[in-house]
Amino acid sequence: MKPRHVWTIAKKELRGIGNERTIVLAILLQVFIAMFSSFLVVGLTSLYDPSSLGGMSGGYAVGYAGTDSPLADLLEEKGDFEVYRMDLSEAVAALQERRLAAVVYVPDTPPDGTDPVKITLYTLKNDISASVTGVKIREAMEAYEVMLREARDDRLTAEPVEIAVPADVRGQSFFIFVYGLLVPLLLFMPAIISASLIIDFITEEYSTKTLDTLLSTPLTFTEILWGKVLAAWVLVPLQAGAWIVLLAANGIAIRSTLAILLHVSAASLVLILIGAIAALHYRERTSAQFVYSTALVAVLLAVLAIPGNPANLIVLLAAGSPAPLHGAALVGVLTGTAFLAIITDRYARRLAARAAQ
Amino acid sequence: MTAVLLVALLLASGITAESGIRLQDGIYTVGIDDPAVAAILSGDPAFSVSLTDGATLAQRPGAYDLVISGGRARAARTEKGAAALSAFSIAYRNYRTGIYTGEEDLFAAYPLWIETVEVTSSLDFTATESGQIIAPKPQEGSDVRPSGQVEEVPTPSSTLAVSAEELRQDLAAAPAGNEGIARYLGMFSGGPDLGEFKTPSQLSPPLPFDSLIYIFVFIFPLYFTSQFAMMSIANERIERRGEILLSTPAGPLTIIAGKMLPYFLLMIAVCSAIVLITGGSFVVIFPLIPVILFFLAAALLIGMTARSFRELSFLSIFFSTVMTSYLFFPSIFANVHVISLISPLTLVVLNFQGTGFSAADYLYATALFWLSTAVVLWLCARNFTEEQLFSQERLTSRLRSFIFAAMARDHPFASLVAVNLLAIPLIFMVQLMYLVLLFNLPLPWSLIALILLAAFTEEVAKSIGIVALFRGIPGFFTWRNVLLAAVATGFGFLLGEKLLLFVMMAQVTGSLFGSVLFSGFGLLWMPFLLHTAGALIVGAVLKVGGRRAYLPGLLLATAVHASYNLILIGGAL
Repeated sequence: MKPRHVWTIAKKELRGIGNERTIVLAILLQVFIAMFSSFLVVGLTSLYDPSSLGGMSGGYAVGYAGTDSPLADLLEEKGDFEVYRMDLSEAVAALQERRLAAVVYVPDTPPDGTDPVKITLYTLKNDISASVTGVKIREAMEAYEVMLREARDDRLTAEPVEIAVPADVRGQSFFIFVYGLLVPLLLFMPAIISASLIIDFITEEYSTKTLDTLLSTPLTFTEILWGKVLAAWVLVPLQAGAWIVLLAANGIAIRSTLAILLHVSAASLVLILIGAIAALHYRERTSAQFVYSTALVAVLLAVLAIPGNPANLIVLLAAGSPAPLHGAALVGVLTGTAFLAIITDRYARRLAARAAQ
Repeated sequence: MTAVLLVALLLASGITAESGIRLQDGIYTVGIDDPAVAAILSGDPAFSVSLTDGATLAQRPGAYDLVISGGRARAARTEKGAAALSAFSIAYRNYRTGIYTGEEDLFAAYPLWIETVEVTSSLDFTATESGQIIAPKPQEGSDVRPSGQVEEVPTPSSTLAVSAEELRQDLAAAPAGNEGIARYLGMFSGGPDLGEFKTPSQLSPPLPFDSLIYIFVFIFPLYFTSQFAMMSIANERIERRGEILLSTPAGPLTIIAGKMLPYFLLMIAVCSAIVLITGGSFVVIFPLIPVILFFLAAALLIGMTARSFRELSFLSIFFSTVMTSYLFFPSIFANVHVISLISPLTLVVLNFQGTGFSAADYLYATALFWLSTAVVLWLCARNFTEEQLFSQERLTSRLRSFIFAAMARDHPFASLVAVNLLAIPLIFMVQLMYLVLLFNLPLPWSLIALILLAAFTEEVAKSIGIVALFRGIPGFFTWRNVLLAAVATGFGFLLGEKLLLFVMMAQVTGSLFGSVLFSGFGLLWMPFLLHTAGALIVGAVLKVGGRRAYLPGLLLATAVHASYNLILIGGAL
């Protein structure tokens, strides 16, 4: 197998992508998704940090009906809410007109009684603003629960370990969403795209019957195959690198960039080889893509269940958490990839030999 | 092979279900000096716990995201530290729940119970249009009393309707703060039911993400099926099997309809199955039909234009991303913003909520889909010929030749009017997409970006007919014909715009954003002159400079168009 021949094929495929302007579409797609992620990020931040949205400095108006209780003060305490004491019917009507963010009704149950205090909370249905207020209302309710629990302390038996936890202001959803979900998803997308590209590269030669023409040149079947694999593979670190730059431009810092690119490249070769084997076997796009997609789901599910899988390592590396064994994991993935590469090569040789007969 | 794959898939999902998804393992580092505290976190793989003595912890304060020593939790002053603290507080809450659930006197451990009542509110477009938040604190001294009619709300009962034992079981089954996917899994598989009464820690905020789940559930099967439709068309073209069909007496429309029918039925069947499983009403099929038809029309167009399979792959990924977001993002704002109604899937969400939708909502949400489907299908049917199907051209020139083939060569100006008229639904779709993407930018920027993008899109759309004629009939463009073509283009565009605005609900189109997008200002002759001028600029530049001058000409026309709008909006602001 001559590297020069492999490179010739790789160049041909890459030129094909360039000519068709499909790569322009791919870049447009990335920009598009980057816009969405910033949209999602803005949306999610606003859920947890209402003040991040303009025009929101004063707090929300909350209607309060029923008996007086410390809850009203708890709601007002942090400046999140302005409490308006009103009649229940009027308050609910005002809520419907969005003059209020929520309405609470407190019954006259005594704090130290045997019955529980049952508060009724009226909120707007399936509404973003209700999510914002919901977080804040929960904090006030939890504080009130602690007060009530203290009043009934003598009736409790078990003693939990006491830890003073400072009230969390921002919440973890944003951080976890970005690093634990968005980053691995975005970084593995190029791998998934490349693996379905290799199917197109290979099945195309069969369906347009250009394989014989290619084989009449000094190129061998395996050289053609590896050239195509190479073309699909080099796109992965390029696109993943582009993602890292785009994320950084959106203010999401990715640490250990080089290690991450190594992990993504190694893991993506596995997917590309699976795609290549499916394409070699079926020689026809529809079946190959179907089998590849199903196999992809199975492989992803199985891999994600293993502790220390590449996606997990990427999350750790990107977030700057210690990932002590990531070098060993990389070697493991590379060994598996080499094994799969040998299988692919053998299979291609057998196909070539069979065709030559 | 399929059987092997299925078994592998089952096995893999079994393993994942058993071990959980190990994506965020060890993301937070915690230093703890007390084994009893470390035991609290033992069940949560997101934490990587180091158990050392308090002195060591005090020496290296920045080494951990979170330090718990001497009964106090302290987070590092980083975003990650805050996230770790928040994750810990959930774990700690779960631990306390476990302890308190075992208490003899349940109402001493859980003295506070909350019943949530969700109230449906009416839409108010004007409040959200200017970027305001709903229900902010009223101005000093102003009143929060309702302006409309007050309906009597019954005083809620002060007792719980269920026994303490039932509540205890609920508590044991549902850990506190279980946000995320578990909530949604329960929606389909009948998982732990939190009941009507919640303790404060179970009071998860009513996230609007229910809508998102519905949309994904409905959109994904459609996307996959349309991919198969695309592939079948492309297969026939590339392997030239379609020639036999074309030689039969069946016309192109019959062939297209026949080809699309199985996929259409399949999609309807999948949607019906989802409706059955989720227990929704079959009314949701109605807003889905135009979406399905549009997906199929687009699949046909993509299948007919892609030169190779990899082009097909990219086009289909691109199309599905754009469409998913068009359908997806507006419906996040269901109930909040009228913009949500540009997506038919919002109607699905409304229906699942039990709010329902009116015929006017339906017309507004689906009109563009019906019209665009019709236009795309007509274009495809006109080009469903041997000559067009089996030629290999670039995407852009192929689309141009599609348009040219759909025009009547003997009546070029009438064709220009028709092309621009028919392009309007597609342009509106693109522009509404911009609106969705940009409307949560701060106000002046969103308007400026909208003006520029909208002007560019309109100029591109208007130039297509002119370019098709320019390339299709060489020597056609005398100066007189350039002028006539510009007038025809401007007329067709204006006619389409006004006709569609007439159909659509006035809420979006009558707003500030609407006037930016649809140049609703001034008398009829002003937008007419504007559209004609844009087309004239592109035509004249093409005549003088040839094909290479196309892009500069387009940009010049966009600049003129955008500055017209900017001046008008500037005056209106």
